[in-house]
Amino acid sequence: MELSIFIQLIVLGLVRGSMYALMGVGLSLIFGIMAIVNFAHGELFMIGCYIMYFVASMLGLPFPLGILAAGIGLLIVGIILEKGLISTLRKKAGREWLMDSFVLTIGLMVIFQNLALIIFGSIQRGIPNLVAGQYVIGDVVFIYDHLVILGLALLTVGVLWYFIKNTSLGKAIRATSQHAEAAQTLGIDVSWMYAVAFGIGAALAGISGALLITLFPANPNAGMAPVLKSFVVVILGGLGNIKGAIAAGILVGLLEAYAVFFLAGGWQNVIVFSIVIAVLVFKPSGLFAPAGERP
Amino acid sequence: MSILGSPRKGMNASRYVKVALVLAFLIAAPWIWQENRFITTIFISALMFGIWGVMYDLQIGYGGLINFGFAGFICAGAYGSALAAHHYEINPWLCMLIGAVASGVLGFLTGVVTLRLRGIFVGLATWFLAEVLRLTISNTPVYTRGMLGLTVKPLPDVLGLNFSRAELLPYYYLLLILVIIIFAIAALMVSSRIGLSFKAIREDQLATETLGLSATKYKLINFTTACFFTGLIGAYYAHYIGILTPDTTEFGVPRTVEVLTVAYVGGRGTLWGSILAGFILIGFQEYFRQLGAWRLVMYGTLLIAVMIYAPKGLSSFKKYIW
Repeated sequence: MELSIFIQLIVLGLVRGSMYALMGVGLSLIFGIMAIVNFAHGELFMIGCYIMYFVASMLGLPFPLGILAAGIGLLIVGIILEKGLISTLRKKAGREWLMDSFVLTIGLMVIFQNLALIIFGSIQRGIPNLVAGQYVIGDVVFIYDHLVILGLALLTVGVLWYFIKNTSLGKAIRATSQHAEAAQTLGIDVSWMYAVAFGIGAALAGISGALLITLFPANPNAGMAPVLKSFVVVILGGLGNIKGAIAAGILVGLLEAYAVFFLAGGWQNVIVFSIVIAVLVFKPSGLFAPAGERP
Repeated sequence: MSILGSPRKGMNASRYVKVALVLAFLIAAPWIWQENRFITTIFISALMFGIWGVMYDLQIGYGGLINFGFAGFICAGAYGSALAAHHYEINPWLCMLIGAVASGVLGFLTGVVTLRLRGIFVGLATWFLAEVLRLTISNTPVYTRGMLGLTVKPLPDVLGLNFSRAELLPYYYLLLILVIIIFAIAALMVSSRIGLSFKAIREDQLATETLGLSATKYKLINFTTACFFTGLIGAYYAHYIGILTPDTTEFGVPRTVEVLTVAYVGGRGTLWGSILAGFILIGFQEYFRQLGAWRLVMYGTLLIAVMIYAPKGLSSFKKYIW
């Protein structure tokens, strides 16, 4: 293989991978802190697409505002969903919490998809590009859009990382995820922490949706493909393992970039999904978990 | 007594009467609405989703097993039967059995590798497995015709009954017989020692294993049985509907979600609730066809409402009605 193609595929892989990481981190965060397998994650992504479309295309505002609006909008949606529905279920559910909350998010998925269909119709609403143009070095093409996506995705993950590790709110959220009752005795408002965590997870999905509008035009089913990819990333990285989700996101992105190049279309998903099943069976704690750790 | 739970209710006289009334209604239904073919097709859909719901309930409600790849087992049964008939000229009646066995074997193998995992991982593994099956079918058009669609032969005539698809009644009564047999087997199973083991494992796996019961063995029995019958009805579906395509609404997540909704709305751990929910949800769906997407919004809302306010679903209303 020529070096230029090799480098080009690395660039494409990193761009895809950074997005998968962003989606995966949101999903993993929600699982890690609240033990919810959020099947409506793709629909939160879809709402982000629509917000981006309306801000950047219909209102004609600069695209960073669209991304910001999607992030803030989904943060609010996430907090409302948690406070309104999920926390009500948490008070009633016992041992069956994992499955019950999963089914609840399935209900949310169905509702959001069909409300979007009713409100917006099935038309695809895309934006051709965020930043037009490309930069060429030798035979390698850097599309500006891709660089923007890569940069902003890395920035978002970095900000999240700082927030979780260093701010007091981030520490309170981590404390809640480690031991909710102990956190409560220390004066942490646990139920509020859950709402914030779900909101942040939703915001990450929304930001992904806004960033990727050039690739996934806003439509009611826009979240279907991304959610599948997020689950792949989260399972490979280990459910609830945020570092693992980032690594797995980039790994899957790179793998796919090369698989698209070398394999006949259609089979790449079969291969990726088979790897996922193998990981679930042999190492359910994920590829990057310390040896011996059980989920 | 209430602490230990009441002993299993026997089939007392009033229960026989109720079952007989329901059966009589189901047998008579096509004659009540004789001039309306459409009603019969709705009854067929409702019975199919109802019995799929019963199988889902057997897994989730009794075994505590999350099968999020349910549509994949329908798919295995449907394609197993259709391909056997298409390529090997086997009598479609035998093909239905082949489809059921294909799905059962797939269920057994899936169970062997996944059932030792914690609940949600079983769900995720079965989900991806079903997707692999569906995508493999769509990627091998030479053998399965992929997205072009595989035409399926109707069942051959038997005992002088005409199973060309022009006649709905033979298909309806065939399905009714299958549903009665499958339901009876499931009901016997959950009220037997095996069923008690299911419950014990679901309540406390560790405690049950210390009593010397192999949790994996009983989970495997549960999973394989449910997959076998899911596949049998899948095979029936293939010959009834006449054409199969491996798209998501047919054999993907949306189909699994439909069946899951039937089982949850009906009430987990009841079996009969799923049949009732099959009729109510499918009837509702057909009656409100003009509502379009609002129908599905209501489905989602109903599912959430059941999760939060009525974990036992429709079955919790039984005491008021019947």
